[in-house]
Amino acid sequence: MPVQVRNWFVGALGVAALALLPLGIRGEYSLTILCTLFLYVTTSQSWNILGGYAGQVNVGQAAFFGIGALTTRLLWLNGMPFPLAIVAGGFSSVLLAVIVGFPALRLRGHYFAIGTLALAWIGHITIGNLLPGISFLTGRYVATYSLVLRYYVFLVIMIAALVTIYLVVNSRIGLGMEATRDDEDAAQTAGVNIVKYKVIAFTISSFFVGLAGGGFAFFYASYYWYLPFGLMWCFEPILITFIGGVGTFIGPIIGAVCYVALKEIFALTLGEINILIFGIVFILTILFFPRGIIGLPAALRHLKSQKVSGGAGESIGPR
Amino acid sequence: MKKKVLLVSVAAIVSLAMLLLFHAPGGFAQPAAPKTIKVGSSISLTGRFAAGGVDVADGYKLAVKHVNDAGGVMVKEFGRKIPLELILIDDESDPSKTVQRLEKLYSVDNVLVYMGEFASDMNIAGLGIAEKNKVPWIGVTIAVENAFNQGFKYTFAPCMFSFMEVGSLFDALDTIPKDRRPTKIANFELQVDWGKECTKYLNKMAAERGYKVVLEQKYAPDTKDFASLILAAKSAGADVLFSVPTPPQSMTIIKQMKELDYAPAATCFIRGPDLSNYWQVMGKDANYILTCGEWTPEMPYPGNKKLVDDYMKANPGKPIGMQVGCAYGAIQVLADSISRAAKLDRESVREAIAATNLQTVRGKVTFDKRGIGNVPWSLCQWQNGKLEVVRNPDFKAKPVLLAPAWGKRQ
Repeated sequence: MPVQVRNWFVGALGVAALALLPLGIRGEYSLTILCTLFLYVTTSQSWNILGGYAGQVNVGQAAFFGIGALTTRLLWLNGMPFPLAIVAGGFSSVLLAVIVGFPALRLRGHYFAIGTLALAWIGHITIGNLLPGISFLTGRYVATYSLVLRYYVFLVIMIAALVTIYLVVNSRIGLGMEATRDDEDAAQTAGVNIVKYKVIAFTISSFFVGLAGGGFAFFYASYYWYLPFGLMWCFEPILITFIGGVGTFIGPIIGAVCYVALKEIFALTLGEINILIFGIVFILTILFFPRGIIGLPAALRHLKSQKVSGGAGESIGPR
Repeated sequence: MKKKVLLVSVAAIVSLAMLLLFHAPGGFAQPAAPKTIKVGSSISLTGRFAAGGVDVADGYKLAVKHVNDAGGVMVKEFGRKIPLELILIDDESDPSKTVQRLEKLYSVDNVLVYMGEFASDMNIAGLGIAEKNKVPWIGVTIAVENAFNQGFKYTFAPCMFSFMEVGSLFDALDTIPKDRRPTKIANFELQVDWGKECTKYLNKMAAERGYKVVLEQKYAPDTKDFASLILAAKSAGADVLFSVPTPPQSMTIIKQMKELDYAPAATCFIRGPDLSNYWQVMGKDANYILTCGEWTPEMPYPGNKKLVDDYMKANPGKPIGMQVGCAYGAIQVLADSISRAAKLDRESVREAIAATNLQTVRGKVTFDKRGIGNVPWSLCQWQNGKLEVVRNPDFKAKPVLLAPAWGKRQ
């Protein structure tokens, strides 16, 4: 069976299993964990297409996540049907990318990272000042709140993001992005339109992050308006992508599963030292598996070949 | 004869049935009692709010220990006392984790009641989950009144809200003789919902009680330079300064006031100076600052001395934070409510909490229809290294000391 067909087949099986899962799971806890997992997969994969494939390290994803959440929540609570509101949330994030993000693409390397971080910080402060209050779901919405419905919303967003990004990174566009990441000057000299590929990556990334923000707005019964603009939405997707394997399609998925599972297990079993233990695990992962968990088999093969050949082997250093 | 046999048979069957019903284990007369009553809290044991979260957790643990040392909570339905089981899970000071943790407490641990958390971000996330799951929620440190104007039925907070905090300042100022009483107020409004609520009540109560707000300036939660605000207050001649800064800001403002030689007769920061380490950080510059007075170790309420003595024994040398007493009081409300509910179903317990009328270590607690606690309006002031109560309706408080100019302080 060709690899592409096999991948699609495995993916379809996975989707079918996830779609049927709520029939077998009744507990709110399990559904909440899965919603969180889908949210993290979406935000990490969205970061990955821009940072991992196109090489543009966006440290300001919270601005795009937050604007998606804000738009969706405002429209939804003011009477717009939720499906329309969340799509509007996705496009509001793209609009922010067009207005502020695209000019930032003129910056390179660390300057782009700092510029996007500044954007996130500005968003956080601005929303904190303009909307210092709390967004509550009214009694009517709380009375009809369904966690299963939220589960499917997050699932659909995640699948849409994964399918789109998979198609893009396995196309000529994906090659263009990787060429841009590996060496902008060389790619430009070879005739690659690097601005075009950066813009495509940024648009896709911001759209799905905006949708994820919309999912957040649908999920939370009550929160401070500034919460989705918090810097955790900048750093957690990056952390997850690096844990799983940056610049790979499967990396953010594995990273999100490990991140959510380990965090939960540690918090429930280790008490006050859970963050310390998680930090140590993260440092060890980066130290010994710089390609992330996805690089683990290669690292083990390398160790094995070193044993066999008495020291010589392929490099497992950072990409 | 046949009739007699029939009658005897019916009597025997009925007797057997009665025996089975009333004496078999788990029979209808006495349902099996659970080993413990589970209550849970998602709480900041790590992260930026850990200092306050640990204080709240300490208060919960000590109160639960005291309840269980006495055998537990009497539950009439089972005809005996049942111990409380407190389940605390760290939320890492992250509201998104709060949601996960509360869902775990609900669907896996099947807790009867949620206990609140230290910081507002997490408490706000928790309120919605409590209402959605129809699990009673008893908070400890939530001052935003608006959160209780949403028509929620399951949320209760036996603590001081914005209008009580502002009211307690005016109550304290009113105790100062008229000829020396400061009346011109500068309000530095923190740009959060709590700050806005306080401004609303400050303006309203000032107008009603003969005070004048001469300056109103806004600042963000991450503002670090207050020079322009301080100079504006100074030039407006304000002799009372009110604000609800973040704890670091409460230190920065005082330091900058000293640098700019601005010493209003009364400075009231509801948040920040109430932390137990404030004097250690600020030293004598903390003198005369008024702050929230929800609970102190010296309050003469029943049970308070035992709480303080046992806390000191368990944590030698550790300062006892205000939140320890507030959290302890919340568990007292919980235990009393379960006992009055007489049953272990959430709806009965919710109704019992709503009908609370209890003397706790922080004073008498009742609730209004929104779940807001009616508690004593209390205010403290730092006086020579000690947080003294200067306003409390239940006992004789210390007089408010007016702050002299910076240059005239010892």
